[in-house]
Amino acid sequence: MTVMNITLPFGVIKDISDYSRFINEILKFDITLNILKFSTGTSGINLLIDIPDDKIKSITESLKKNNIIVNKKGRIIIDTEKCIDCGACISLCPTDALNFDSEKRLKFYYERCIGCLLCLDSCPRYAIEEM
Amino acid sequence: MTKTYNEINQKIKSGEVVVVTAEEMIKIVEEDGIKVAAEDIDVVTTGTFGPMCSSGAFLNFGHSDPPIKFEHLWLNDVKAYHGNAAVDCYIGCTRMSDVRRFEYGGGHVIEDLVSGKSIRLRGNSYTTDCYPLAEIDTEFTLDEINQAILLNPRNAYQRYVCAVNSSDRSLYTYMGKLLPHYGNAHYAGAGCLSPLSNDPDYETIGIGTKIFLGGGSGYIIGEGTQHSPTNQFGTLFVKGDLKQMNSEYLRGVSFEKYGTSLFVGLGIPIPILNEGLAKKTAISDSELLTDIVDYGIPRRDRPKLRQITYEELRNEYIELNGKKVKCSSMSSQYYARKIAETLKKWIQEGKFFLNQPAETLPTDTIFKPMKQILEIKFVKDLKRKAIICYDDCELKTIAKRIINHNMNHIVITDRENTLKGIVTSFDITKAIAEEKTDIKEIITKKVITTSDNDPIDVAARRMKQNYISALPVIDENKKVVGIITSEELI
Ligand code: SF4
Ligand code: SF4
Repeated sequence: MTVMNITLPFGVIKDISDYSRFINEILKFDITLNILKFSTGTSGINLLIDIPDDKIKSITESLKKNNIIVNKKGRIIIDTEKCIDCGACISLCPTDALNFDSEKRLKFYYERCIGCLLCLDSCPRYAIEEM
Repeated sequence: MTKTYNEINQKIKSGEVVVVTAEEMIKIVEEDGIKVAAEDIDVVTTGTFGPMCSSGAFLNFGHSDPPIKFEHLWLNDVKAYHGNAAVDCYIGCTRMSDVRRFEYGGGHVIEDLVSGKSIRLRGNSYTTDCYPLAEIDTEFTLDEINQAILLNPRNAYQRYVCAVNSSDRSLYTYMGKLLPHYGNAHYAGAGCLSPLSNDPDYETIGIGTKIFLGGGSGYIIGEGTQHSPTNQFGTLFVKGDLKQMNSEYLRGVSFEKYGTSLFVGLGIPIPILNEGLAKKTAISDSELLTDIVDYGIPRRDRPKLRQITYEELRNEYIELNGKKVKCSSMSSQYYARKIAETLKKWIQEGKFFLNQPAETLPTDTIFKPMKQILEIKFVKDLKRKAIICYDDCELKTIAKRIINHNMNHIVITDRENTLKGIVTSFDITKAIAEEKTDIKEIITKKVITTSDNDPIDVAARRMKQNYISALPVIDENKKVVGIITSEELI
């Protein structure tokens, strides 16, 4: 399973029927869908969904067709020159994409990043950049 | 068994000295016992690298021609303090740039200076007969000025608290970004590597102790401000020559919506003069306690949720009210270790000698709160009765209440007095214009609230931040107990 981060823009989802239309859009791929997190952001409703790996491509395409924003994976980069390995960003990351290696230096696990950008304004060195 | 400073320094000279870091000492004492460790080990090195807001530097630029006596001056647009002789100044790390604000501050100026960058100096003066120049705009580097002395009135906190946030919004603090509803936890301090935790009775740490400071050497010149050793919140006043420091260990930082600061690298060598010191320097993270403190309550005495060891904090998650909370540090363990290792190497290579303090530091002071002559006011002192309508009432009822009570905000509750939303006179006007009749269409459900024991300034800041003019006052069960509006605050 893979975690996907999607945003339902406020304009797209107006009521519950819009919402169920979008869920059905995913369910038509005949999968079990786990909604891991549901939150209201500044531009819309953010959902963290867990989907089977082999369906990523088709689901992404179908969501995009419905004007739903699929946030890229690995949306940040760490500027290691600026990073001072303080760790202030680590507790913000919901997927452990930011963590220490065995030497206690910050390590960014690209494949775990779901692009939620929660970490972005937590870095006192501006070492985290949005891609 | 006892050793003297002199004996240890002789060993440093002859290259026989045995130095270990405070982390290594734990294992040595565990394996060989205190007695053997005290004989074998001569020096234990410590280190810490974290944000230390009470940091800054005294600079002297030399005289211009014609001479100037600064009244105001800026370094890369960051205002420096001037209240000394003509061309002396103090650049404090939390002062933010007039132009770049949160992005760049005094801490960054110090980092840039130490890394050899050119700094822009602008200054002005009211002019005197002996200092006739009114304005100056020039540039300088660290090598080109007379003195640059790092002088930090409060560094190296023995330990610090672990911060969490119970409130319903993200907080941006000097303890970093704290997510609502205990969403994460941040702590600071180097734990078993923390200098003051390794000599908590100040046997060897005193005025004149030579230390690692910002990648060079420096000295302890006294107890730090707010020094509070009785509850393990000891601090140090330190100084050192910026010209021999290294910008790897002095890093300017910007905490979002809080401000700027400086990460300072500091390490202290502890001579193992006796068995007592061998024991103390073997302290481990599991023996070092601190408090989990709720930063969601904006008061001086924030609620302490529980005690926690540094060992627990080093795990990725801590346990809080039966919930797993992700926890990370604000200070770097990697650099704390690197500092202890570097100091160890300097001593082993005969580059760094130890000295006996000229005077010991107080061990009995406490940190007193500020005296305030004006009583602080709370929401409960100024709130008024909320005008309430039930969540199934008609818009007409709300409109009547607005008129009868001359009140802009009507609080909506259920029959049990639980807050359900708020409706303003503007909402009603809009409803009429748009021919809406159902309260559900116009109610604001996500209401920003306050509580009886919030200080008035906290309520005022919340209104300002959210561009609103009233806050319902609720109790811990979400029952409405009043309302406070911007009118009460004037
Ligand atoms: S917090 Fe940062 S690193 Fe972690 S998933 Fe979100 S964007 Fe990626
Ligand atoms: S908060 Fe910034 S400086 Fe600190 S570890 Fe994360 S990326 Fe590095």
